[in-house]
Amino acid sequence: MTDRVLPTPRRSIGKSLLLTLPILLWSLLMFSRSMIEPGRAPKLAAAATLVFMVALFFQMMRTLETHRWRRYFFVALGFLFPVGFIWQLYALRGSMSIPVERMLSGDTPFCFLAIPMMILPAAVAGTVIFPGSILPTASNPHAIAAMVALWFAATLVLGKGWCSYGCFFGGIEEGFSAIPKKPRIRRLDPRWRWMPWAVLAAIVLLSAATLEPVYCMWLCPFKAVTEYPAVRSFETAVQMGIFITLFAGLVVVLPLLTKKRTQCSFLCPFGAFQSIFNKTGAFDIRLDQSKCTPCVLCEKACPTMSITPEAVAAGKPLMSCMKCGACVDACVRDAAVWHIKGTEVGASSERARLMYLYSAWAFAVMFGGSIIAGALEKLFGLMV
Amino acid sequence: MKKLRSILGNTGAVLTLALAVLAPFLLFGWFQAAIGAAHLRIDPTYSGGQISHVIDRANYRIVVNRPVPRRSPLQRIGPFVQVTWTPAASLPAHFSDDVDLDGDGTPDVRVAIDSQNLSVDVAPLNARYRPMHSQGVTSFSALIARVKDGLVVRIPL
Repeated sequence: MTDRVLPTPRRSIGKSLLLTLPILLWSLLMFSRSMIEPGRAPKLAAAATLVFMVALFFQMMRTLETHRWRRYFFVALGFLFPVGFIWQLYALRGSMSIPVERMLSGDTPFCFLAIPMMILPAAVAGTVIFPGSILPTASNPHAIAAMVALWFAATLVLGKGWCSYGCFFGGIEEGFSAIPKKPRIRRLDPRWRWMPWAVLAAIVLLSAATLEPVYCMWLCPFKAVTEYPAVRSFETAVQMGIFITLFAGLVVVLPLLTKKRTQCSFLCPFGAFQSIFNKTGAFDIRLDQSKCTPCVLCEKACPTMSITPEAVAAGKPLMSCMKCGACVDACVRDAAVWHIKGTEVGASSERARLMYLYSAWAFAVMFGGSIIAGALEKLFGLMV
Repeated sequence: MKKLRSILGNTGAVLTLALAVLAPFLLFGWFQAAIGAAHLRIDPTYSGGQISHVIDRANYRIVVNRPVPRRSPLQRIGPFVQVTWTPAASLPAHFSDDVDLDGDGTPDVRVAIDSQNLSVDVAPLNARYRPMHSQGVTSFSALIARVKDGLVVRIPL
């Protein structure tokens, strides 16, 4: 481990509290409805989530570290989302499997991972190749228009940062990747980084050709912990086998061995799709070459292998960077910095970090916080 | 030029923050309304297609949808026509219906349904259609299923 060459910065408690105040007020606003719901469980869940989110933000302000504290939220989101979702499925139909009957009635909750596959058929034929409903209904509140609207707003704000502050699947592998102290597999072939783009191209074209959401039907590892087609035939049994294998391999085993988010790095087509929006956002991460030695600590810390020697030479991570802040936290020379596009690199990096964090955390409290609170409410409901 | 880029960058950053705050109050609603107004519809493979005509019987109705063709050579789900008997509660345990699928006034298929065990036999009365037997869901284009308040039968074409 390389020692920090600059003194570890720390903000005063008073200033940190002041900077946390907007997020506290925002959190109170977001959880106010749960606070007045009848019963103790919703109130307890909302209060616990509020304290959790505000405390993490305070620590981000106090320690000037981002990834270290964001990770607690993200892992909690990743592990609590399936709890709430599976609970809801059992309450609705007593099973995680989705029968064809519910697909025909348009009751499949929409998942943002299907968005890239929908675009071509929607543009060409005006049809959505997903067995859900366009507008929310009583039996399907997670309708396509609602979820696409949420994703679009999040993308305008976060860009690829969605993968660090919004994606309720990424937290699972981030949790597993955080367990070991050191990676057992250190060297990964950099060519694997192209895989998500290949998968994205393949599923977009195949979905348009077959008029089926191919990734959802054949490749999504998270079907193993959310909702999968009812196993009624050899084909659905094979699909289930693929889901479990990919989940075990890419979301559990490889993150444990590599300390990387391997599903995001090597498979996720939505992550590749989201990378495009890194070009449109106002914020990015820069690698200040005047300060960089290079010690490769940032390269080691990056969970998605977005920092390569070429990226260091170019002064910025690859477009797959999800703005988690791991490289900035890891850099001992303050060479990896938050940056507002168009401004001078390193001139106002803390201001850039603050502005991005306010935007990202506001979204995280509103979206991820509601998911965490929903799952906690169900768990607290068992106890109180 | 450098200053202009800096001003534009900072403006973008402020706008991003404003969007984050506005998202739950305005943006979601606007975007959802915009998507809702885009006249998108669920692919007929899943929705069953648009309603063609309705046949009234004494205790129930038969809703016949327009045929859903194969629209791509790589599409795995074959062409079908969806017929719905509704309300499901009014259906006898076993019944048979002659159904006019193309709306020309003459029956095209005889459909025998066991609504308790969810099995269906389709006998063609017109050379354009094929016989079918399905116990529950055989495939997306050949099935009998209880959906909401109806009994849905998809007859392959």
